[in-house]
Amino acid sequence: MAESTLRESIVAPTTAPAPASRGARVLQFVADRGIVVFTVGLIVFAIVFVNGFASVSNVSDVFYRAAPIGIVALGMTFVVISANYLDLSVVAQVATAAVIFIGVSNQAGIIAAVLVAIVVALVYGLVNGIAVGYFRANAVIVTLATTFIGLGILRWLSGGSIFFGPDGGIVQSLGQAKVGPVPLSAIVLIAMAVILGFVLQKTTFGFAIRSYGSNKAAARLAGVQTGRLVVGAFIITSLSAMVAGFVLAAFSNTAVSSMSDGYDFRALAAIIIGGTSVFGGRGSVLRTLLGVVFVSVLTNILVLSGMGFGLQQVAIGALIVIAVSVDALARKLVKS
Amino acid sequence: MVHSTQNQPAAIIADRISKRFGGAVAVDGVSLSVAPGEIHAVVGENGAGKSTLMRILAGVIPADQGEIRVGTELLSGGPRAALAAGVALVHQELSLVPDMSVAENILLGSTPTAAGFVRRAPMRRIAQAALDEIGIEVDLDEPIARLSVSVRQFVEIARAVARKPRVLILDEPTATLTPAETDHLLQMLERLAAAGMAIIYISHRIPEVFRLCTVVTVLRDGKVIQSGPVAETTPREVISAMVGRELARDLAGEHTSRQPGEVVLKATGIRAPRVNGVDLEIRSGQIVGLGGLVGAGRTELVRAIIGADPRIAGTVTIASRGRSRQIRDYQVAVRSGVGYVPEERRSDGLALTMSVVDNVALPNRAALSTAGVLRRRRITDYVERLADAVGLRPPKIQRDAGQFSGGNQQKIVIAKWLGRQPALMVLDEPTRGVDVGAKAEIHRLIRGLAAEGAAVLFVSSDLPELLDLADLIHVVRDGTIVGSLTREQADERSVMSLASGEKAVVA
Amino acid sequence: MPDLTRLRAVLARRTEGRAVVLLIAVLVAAVAFEPVVFSSFQVVLGRVALIGLVALGLTAVILLGELDLSVASTLALSGVVMASIPDPVLGVVAALATGLVVGLINSFFVVVVGINSFIATLGMLFALRGAAFVLSGEEPVRLTNIDAGIAFGAPLIGPLTPRVLLFFLVFAALQVFLSRTRIGREFYAVGGNRQAAIDVGIPVRRRLVLGFLISGVVASLAGVINTLERTAADPTAGSTVLLASFAAAIIGGVLLNGGRGTVLGTLIGALALSILQVVLTLSGVQVDIQDIFVGSILLIAIISDPTRLRASVSRLRDSLSRSRTRAPA
Repeated sequence: MAESTLRESIVAPTTAPAPASRGARVLQFVADRGIVVFTVGLIVFAIVFVNGFASVSNVSDVFYRAAPIGIVALGMTFVVISANYLDLSVVAQVATAAVIFIGVSNQAGIIAAVLVAIVVALVYGLVNGIAVGYFRANAVIVTLATTFIGLGILRWLSGGSIFFGPDGGIVQSLGQAKVGPVPLSAIVLIAMAVILGFVLQKTTFGFAIRSYGSNKAAARLAGVQTGRLVVGAFIITSLSAMVAGFVLAAFSNTAVSSMSDGYDFRALAAIIIGGTSVFGGRGSVLRTLLGVVFVSVLTNILVLSGMGFGLQQVAIGALIVIAVSVDALARKLVKS
Repeated sequence: MVHSTQNQPAAIIADRISKRFGGAVAVDGVSLSVAPGEIHAVVGENGAGKSTLMRILAGVIPADQGEIRVGTELLSGGPRAALAAGVALVHQELSLVPDMSVAENILLGSTPTAAGFVRRAPMRRIAQAALDEIGIEVDLDEPIARLSVSVRQFVEIARAVARKPRVLILDEPTATLTPAETDHLLQMLERLAAAGMAIIYISHRIPEVFRLCTVVTVLRDGKVIQSGPVAETTPREVISAMVGRELARDLAGEHTSRQPGEVVLKATGIRAPRVNGVDLEIRSGQIVGLGGLVGAGRTELVRAIIGADPRIAGTVTIASRGRSRQIRDYQVAVRSGVGYVPEERRSDGLALTMSVVDNVALPNRAALSTAGVLRRRRITDYVERLADAVGLRPPKIQRDAGQFSGGNQQKIVIAKWLGRQPALMVLDEPTRGVDVGAKAEIHRLIRGLAAEGAAVLFVSSDLPELLDLADLIHVVRDGTIVGSLTREQADERSVMSLASGEKAVVA
Repeated sequence: MPDLTRLRAVLARRTEGRAVVLLIAVLVAAVAFEPVVFSSFQVVLGRVALIGLVALGLTAVILLGELDLSVASTLALSGVVMASIPDPVLGVVAALATGLVVGLINSFFVVVVGINSFIATLGMLFALRGAAFVLSGEEPVRLTNIDAGIAFGAPLIGPLTPRVLLFFLVFAALQVFLSRTRIGREFYAVGGNRQAAIDVGIPVRRRLVLGFLISGVVASLAGVINTLERTAADPTAGSTVLLASFAAAIIGGVLLNGGRGTVLGTLIGALALSILQVVLTLSGVQVDIQDIFVGSILLIAIISDPTRLRASVSRLRDSLSRSRTRAPA
């Protein structure tokens, strides 16, 4: 009978969130789903108005260029979603993997090269992950330090020289391989997106990372082993950077320590433009893929329209700020 | 209604102040008058509206109704206006800058300058004078980060005193102080009052009030219940006025007496910051409540027991399903069958931007997956079942946790653990900020857990709740258990007098 | 003895400790291996000024609890702006104005729009670098008045070049500003406890704007100096400056979360890093291996925060022991 009085007293209505104004809702929609609309819109725009965009050779060129940076961005999404800003050391990691891919396979064969590269990637992931996850050090500074160390070691060991794969070698054939009209690098990009998307969305590990990024204290109090989680996020980033290094090396059949300069912030730019929050929790691998496609298509349009490197950079910078400003303004409006 | 001990005009007069937050009335038509030289205690249970009232007096938040006069001036505008009028508030949370010196902190916001440069000599002089006035010796150049919490509390008071206020408001200033430091503080306040300052002193601690204050005002549910000279009342009377409900135990919580089972939790010699040696034992099916004042160290105690915060000393064993395990850190505790509902559900309990499904699934993800891959169907079934069990309203489990009311958010936090059949459930202030209906339901859930054989440990500052739920109440003061009351022994008065240090009433 | 305890207390308060330890270690190593370094101090000073100038401005922003990733791009853009204007004086003024405008834009996004400074200045990192490329036509821009540039590189007082003098001038100005003026001290309050700063009525937004203006102008000053010394402005200039200046500030004891640190610390950090590099160079160590040293020192500096080290190690140990005990089960 105590139960029945309870039931009655519970019928009191719960406080629902106040409905937001129309402007706020539009902004909220743009902030939430905008990247899909914009990417599709941009592609349609390019097909209709930009001369030379809708050709097989141009589209495969877009993918060629998008693949390495895109793969890095896909992996780095894990670090960003775990609320650890970014991994600056991908610059060193991509170049190291590329140099190993060509340099070591010239000496000892491609299997040895891949094995060495995997070991190196694991070391990067462990060092970054332990320093950030267990020593609770700021990820920006930790990965800045490992960038210095990694690039230093790479240039020292490689002597800063350019490595060439042999003509007709396996690396070159991988770089030129196509499945039908689709270049292998594009397939690798999509495959990585599918795999990493699966890991982030469907596995307990990815679930724990998203929860951790959303609220660190709550995740810990739910029994999540936060240190291991962060190490895992950095290892995934490192392995992705390794794959990106392979793709980059195969693309030109050369490798040099400076070939991935700027990958750190460019990858982050694609992630942010895709709509993943640098405060952690919100975002997805698919969003990053869209961000990568968007930036690549836009860059391609600018190139086809004869715009230089400078304007491309200005456009990327503006996009970052616009993407995040829309989000910030939407939240401000919803609050008020 | 308005009392003053001297025949001087009042230093501050609050006239019929009201304040609501959302639907809840925090302060309801409160009038208050404090004369120069008067130390005026404002007491009440947690949530009685004391802190809100003080923040209104200091201009930190505006009142919905009523007016405040300082001397003859009507007070309007924000905290700076209040400060200029001579009202200084010493916050409950510390508001010092860690890497600035003591002197700089005391004069923050009113630093003496010449052509933009800090004038160090006058700054040090004013700061030193303020420290002298409250009788504290501390190096003026020491950064705050290097001082102990209690010294910081005194620096905070020195900052208020340095502004030479006519009215000084202190909100629970002794919560972090040792008895000796408390003595010092009380003497200092007497000196300041003797020099003509009007002091408003908020405290739970009844002995302090009777030692220090000249007038006491009791708030309950945002209203003034009693107000008058301390000399004309007794601690007993004040506690009754604070607690109010003469019919203490409502019959709603009909109690089926259970036979406590095996010992589930055994904690011995627990020490941690603000926890000074606690032994505790809880049996299967038993509900143990921790009573005491805010700042007594209850939250710290439960967190140290389950390893959520590091312990300095002590061992904890949890026995469940025939296995007994030492608890060294929190992850082991969770794996041994501990469920924990933290005090701050919004910051520690829930990921507000994630769905109910995600929040509830998180601690159970291993059981809801196959080879590390989440099973969506299994998860939604599981969460639906639990949402139903806790009575989530509305039962929309795909919504973000942040979109639910406080009571329903708390149900989500409980649901996170409910499906695991926890051996030990630990709840910290389980119904704070929760509406009446949800509160009753949460109580039902807690009883249900115990009925199924879980050991339950909960912290509550809500006396009726404590008395209603607990089979055994341990009262905590200054980081130790100062008394234990069985269901039969416990009533509001016995708990409050143990908690506030007035031992005489113990039954 | 009270003097000694007093001294100890004063020392314990300083945040520059690790930077000083590193500096002493580097100096000892220098005495032992390459004493030549002490007679070639203009090389050292030149190097300090190169790494350190941007770091000084950055320190002001970090103290506020914010970040400015756009400094290196600001450096490049203001150099190009300067070289594009034939009149040298006008060029310098325009370059410094560029830095001012950049600071205003950064603070607009942070203060008015309310986006995180990390992202806002990340956008500016790209946009300004791009603007430098557009303005320069993707080629280095030669200075019209090359003589002015050559004169600028010559020692002015004793062995001190104008670059070194300007560096110390900026250092002195910022040191005085942040340790002696009321507004400067309020930077610490804004970065250390923003709510408290608001409560006591410090105009937090204006302090933030000022911080971004300082880092913008100092970065553009570095761009001016670079351009004068090289007699040309390269749109790719300063690409390594961002990371190096962060390293100097962090080693100097500046807390990335704000509120703690000094420009003196940044100076010592820059000094230690520069001497280290010069010593290594003189010892015939390649630049690449020098980077390994710098990175390792930075990594050690960030994980050796004594208040956190013990907890960190025990966390790691717990985690390892858990996996060990679970393995056989």
